[in-house]
Amino acid sequence: MSIRHGLLALLERGPRYGSQLRTEFESRTGSTWPLNVGQVYTTLARLERDGLVAPGGEDSAGHTLYAITDSGRAELHQWYERPVDRTNPPRDELSIKLAMAVGAPGVDIRAVIQAQRHATIRAMQDYTRLKAQALAAIESGRSRERDDVAWLLVLEQLIFQTEAEARWLDHSESRLVRLSLPADRRAEPEPPQADTDAPAAAAAPEPRAFRTPRG
Amino acid sequence: MKSSYHAWIAAIRIARRDAWRAKGRSALVLAMIALPIVGVSAADLTTRSAQLSPEQTASRSIGAADARLKDSDLSGPVYQDVEGKTSMPVGGYDKYDPRSETDPKVLTSAIPPGAQSLKDSTAHTKIRTRYGLLETDLREIDAASPLVKGMIELQRGQLPQEAGEVIATSAFLKESGFFVGSEFRARGSDAWYRIVGAYELPSDLNKSEVLAPPGTLLAPLDKAFQAAGVPGVVATDTYLVKVGGDGFTWNMVKALNTKSVQVVSRAVLLDPPAESDVPYIAQQKELGYYNPDNGLPTTELAVLATVVGLAMLEICLLAGPAFAVGARRSRRQLGLVGANGGDRRHIRAIVLSGGLVIGAAAAVTGTVLGVALTLGLRSTLEEYLGARFGGFTFRPLEIFSIALLAVVTGLLAAIAPAVTASRQTVLASLTGRRGTRRANRVLPVIGLLALAAGAAIALYGTASRMGSTVVAGGSAIAELGIVALTPVLVGLFGRLGRWLPLSPRLALRDAVRNRGRTAPAVAAVLAAVAGTVAVATYQHSAEIQARHEYIADLPDGAGVVTIHELGRSKDMPAVREALAQELPLAVRADVDHISYGKPGCERFTGPEGCGRAEIMRPKEQRCPLYEAKDGMDSFSDAEKKALRKDPRCTYNRHSAQFNVVVADEKLMAALAVTDPGAVSALKEGKGVSFDKRNVKDGKVTVRLIDNKDEVYEPGVDPKGEDKVFPVHQTPDTAEGYGLELVLPPTAAKSAGLTTLPFASYFTLDGTATSRQKQRVAARIDQIGVEAPVTIEAGYQAGADITMLALTIFAGLVTIGAAGIATGLAQADAEADLKTLAAVGAPPRVRRTLSGFQCGVVALMGVVLGSAAGILPAVGLRLVQRRETEHLMQMAGDANDKLYVPIAVPWETLGGLLIVVPLGAALLAALVTKSSGAMARREAG
Amino acid sequence: MSDQQSAPHIPPAPSARPVLQLTQLVRTHGSGATEVHALRGIDLSVYPGELVAVMGPSGSGKSTLLTLAGGLDTPTSGHVIVEGTDITTASRRQLAALRRRSIGYVFQDYNLIPALTAAENVALPRELDGVSARKARASALAALEEMGLGQLADRFPDEMSGGQQQRVAIARALVGDRRLVLADEPTGALDSETGESVLALLRSRCDAGAAGILVTHEPRFAAWADRVVFLRDGSVVDETLRSQADSLLSGQAGR
Repeated sequence: MSIRHGLLALLERGPRYGSQLRTEFESRTGSTWPLNVGQVYTTLARLERDGLVAPGGEDSAGHTLYAITDSGRAELHQWYERPVDRTNPPRDELSIKLAMAVGAPGVDIRAVIQAQRHATIRAMQDYTRLKAQALAAIESGRSRERDDVAWLLVLEQLIFQTEAEARWLDHSESRLVRLSLPADRRAEPEPPQADTDAPAAAAAPEPRAFRTPRG
Repeated sequence: MKSSYHAWIAAIRIARRDAWRAKGRSALVLAMIALPIVGVSAADLTTRSAQLSPEQTASRSIGAADARLKDSDLSGPVYQDVEGKTSMPVGGYDKYDPRSETDPKVLTSAIPPGAQSLKDSTAHTKIRTRYGLLETDLREIDAASPLVKGMIELQRGQLPQEAGEVIATSAFLKESGFFVGSEFRARGSDAWYRIVGAYELPSDLNKSEVLAPPGTLLAPLDKAFQAAGVPGVVATDTYLVKVGGDGFTWNMVKALNTKSVQVVSRAVLLDPPAESDVPYIAQQKELGYYNPDNGLPTTELAVLATVVGLAMLEICLLAGPAFAVGARRSRRQLGLVGANGGDRRHIRAIVLSGGLVIGAAAAVTGTVLGVALTLGLRSTLEEYLGARFGGFTFRPLEIFSIALLAVVTGLLAAIAPAVTASRQTVLASLTGRRGTRRANRVLPVIGLLALAAGAAIALYGTASRMGSTVVAGGSAIAELGIVALTPVLVGLFGRLGRWLPLSPRLALRDAVRNRGRTAPAVAAVLAAVAGTVAVATYQHSAEIQARHEYIADLPDGAGVVTIHELGRSKDMPAVREALAQELPLAVRADVDHISYGKPGCERFTGPEGCGRAEIMRPKEQRCPLYEAKDGMDSFSDAEKKALRKDPRCTYNRHSAQFNVVVADEKLMAALAVTDPGAVSALKEGKGVSFDKRNVKDGKVTVRLIDNKDEVYEPGVDPKGEDKVFPVHQTPDTAEGYGLELVLPPTAAKSAGLTTLPFASYFTLDGTATSRQKQRVAARIDQIGVEAPVTIEAGYQAGADITMLALTIFAGLVTIGAAGIATGLAQADAEADLKTLAAVGAPPRVRRTLSGFQCGVVALMGVVLGSAAGILPAVGLRLVQRRETEHLMQMAGDANDKLYVPIAVPWETLGGLLIVVPLGAALLAALVTKSSGAMARREAG
Repeated sequence: MSDQQSAPHIPPAPSARPVLQLTQLVRTHGSGATEVHALRGIDLSVYPGELVAVMGPSGSGKSTLLTLAGGLDTPTSGHVIVEGTDITTASRRQLAALRRRSIGYVFQDYNLIPALTAAENVALPRELDGVSARKARASALAALEEMGLGQLADRFPDEMSGGQQQRVAIARALVGDRRLVLADEPTGALDSETGESVLALLRSRCDAGAAGILVTHEPRFAAWADRVVFLRDGSVVDETLRSQADSLLSGQAGR
């Protein structure tokens, strides 16, 4: 996440002052990355130090306006063209938690997973709800369209990311279930998961499973 | 009620669009249903159009006249029917005295004074044509008279103006090979007639008739014939009369009836009198002859209904699988309807609507085509019927009923698929799984009951006096039962699959698993084959019986030529000459008959001065049954029975035109009589008797009887001159083939009998070829006399077109039904075939599989049908046996002669069992492409 | 991220009656050794204006739940109450009538009858119910129009995209007085964007007062629901409650 490049991108459209930059940033990215004014000014100071922006006078209310420099523009375009760096995956608390939970005594890992899934889906619901509102806003055309579209894209990024998490949780759960199976099978005659799978499907099959290609 | 109406509208909409989407299948079913509708509607329209209004009937028979007066040919007052077609003596024939004189002037005197009248004379004779002789009607009438308007229609040329000019019907021209402008002669006349025009009789297109101006044809011909010593031309005169006013009223008709005149009256035809006012009907009723004409007899109606019903069943069975497949294809769609709140009624309605839509389309197509066909082929149809249509009569109600038949057929065909489809649970339909499908238990039970009941009825029919109708009905019910049992029977076939190689096993399993589509096809084949086998078995048995009962006319290989027109015996030498020249004769025995009266006399019906020679059997050697005064009624049953066995009462199984003939000893050779006494007797001038009951003291009496001395009472002999001949009686082994007495020419001559040649018996060196026989016939035609040549060749089975037609029909139905089932199976099996191809099956598997699928269906149907068909045949034969037995008992005949065999026609059966399925299989294999083009079909 | 688990569930207005109520629903297939418990005592209520997503692995009983709710199948025990009517005791004919009047289904694909146009498909339940073709068509057109599908009215399913077909299916599910949509993987055969448009429509219909159950295995689509119910081995193992996204939003940025 780069506040630097975010501010540069905003400044490319014209000179802005600090709190204005903060407002615009948030309206574009929603409440996803809340900024405080201090962060903005610190970042602006660094940009100025690197010669990417330059203070360019004051507006009528006396706010100091900042403008993007040519090297700032070049940096910005480089940023757009560069894929996001994946060499250092962010440390994710969830994966660490699950890794620790495996084999930990007294921990029901399925419960852990379900709790997390609950939260994840819950988050998705929230994002989706916001997205629905954004969509409605765009369709009604009553708001600043560009900002809403940007907001929508950010929301969808979040949704897909959360979904990936949910899918990963699903996968982990079924993987764990399968790995624990042999032990279960030895223990009780009627294996729970895999067995209910087939006959239940036979009785009330999923449409996808039995759809035959036509034509 | 209203709500279900709206639901039906929706169902019909779906069905209509589905039918359109599956064009190929719809067209096939439509054609099947529409085809008979085309035929029936065309037939209805033709029948109705051919029916004439009274006005049309009148003008076709009496032209523009008010009436046609005709001699009733009876003496004394008569009663006539309304149409003037028949009449009977007042008081009936029992009290009628035919000998009373008829007045030749009666007709002319019957014409009301002052009325306009036109004489219409008709007769018939033989005309020499380009090919031989043609029996032709002759007519003399003034064709230019306004009275004949509507009776005859001049088509080409002009009306005959003078003697020697005639016009002829188109039928005459066609048969004789003449055309307008040709000249012809009547046989036995040198007068030439020129055809100056062609005409037609609107209600009798096929009649050969020649029309000439009055006095130019009949009288001259009669004169010429009389002069030549051959029978003359007998003219029948009628008069067309125009009286004006109200025309010829019923009262006027009745008045003329008293003068023995029969009248066709326009006024009466247009306005028929009440039945009570027709003495003819009253008298018929009184005498117990009257049976009111109430359309078709019930038996014929029943037969018609059965045929139509069976045809509909057949079509339903053929069309059923198509609907079943349609329903299967759209199972998901039906499931969706279910999910959207369609209950079973709605699902049924949609599938039934399929039948309704196709039925309605077939109804429209069929009737429109039928009407168009009738319109287009009108003249052909008229010529076929032999009468011009009165007009184009379109009875909307009847056509509508016929169209309704198509709709009903469509609906009936869709019933079973509809019920099956509605039984599926929505869930099963949606997921494409079969779910738990219970086999229909009701249908087999009904089938079994019907089978049992039908068989019982048939059995009862064979045992009771009710006879063949009951047997046929019972068999039909039993057969319907078998049809209903088909699914179960098809299931039984599945058990055979275990022992079969891959392709046939796959085909059989597939057929058995998909009973919904296999069973109707099998049932269709079954029904057709059963009918064929039934008829074949019956006919085969009957033929064996006929062969057994065959009575030879002559010894094997011997022949005879007999002149049919006794008045032309002078042509006989020429006939004999032709015979000798064209056939390799070994023996030719010329035979004369004894003629009584002047030349040209008819034996029984000729006028006075004509008569016959009859053997007078001694009274004590006659059968008492025929001699008693009151006939048979004088005897009790037991007496009758006893008398039947009396040698005096046995009858000769052969018959001949004359039982007394004049011939020399060569006849004995021709008849294969080996008795040397017979030959020598003839040589010595003695007669030969073949029936010892005629002989008394070595003599036979022949009486010459004049027709005027005819008596009609049993036991009383007509009077006449007796001639007594000493005879030689042949032993019982000798057979006269209907001849009872052969007199040598010398004996006949010395007895003063006139003899005329009429026949020649002959035997051949070897056999006569077909070409030789045709040449003889042609020569005899050239001579201009009717004298057919027959050569005994033992029993000849009639060339039976019915059997052939039935077999072809059964074959076609089999191939059709099996083909439809196969096509459907192919479409269904596309996925399986892909799997097969994927696991490395060679491309021809598709072919062999489809061949076997077709063959399996055909074979199952044919096997079941053969089994089902033998039952009614056996039943009918049993009935016949019983009836024959009964008749023989009544007649007092011995039972040992009873021969009513039941024989299975193995050739036909073998053909059906092996050739038809094999053919069907090969055909299916041939028309199946090796690589799938079926996939396209599946979309439909 | 805020702690969503603590976000309060907004109960529906107490006066509102659930459109669908499942109580102690049990469905067992087979018996004896082959006995399979597809559902083991489910309780679920769906209120007007609510979209409930049902998630769970294959064989967890999702689809069984849906078929029971729509009366396509009969529960072994328990009750299904639709609009106040207990359908577990209803006859087949009554069930069919209920499906015509109260319940709409949307399946994964082939939802529309190929022989009928979009409008006729939508009109079908009403026509089957005996409404005259004209009236049924009018209400169908109204339903299509309301969902922005008016231009599709006279097209046949063959002439529509998958997403359009699904949207028409939703229109049919909610035509007339029908308030309950049972959707079984309605987006399964669609790409992500199209699937979303279908769900957006479903969402908006629920916001307009309908009640819906959505069976899906895609969390992204489940997220459109007000509540997500997790099934495992025929039991509800968890349930997310309705969020307060509005307050979430309004709490931020101060606009």
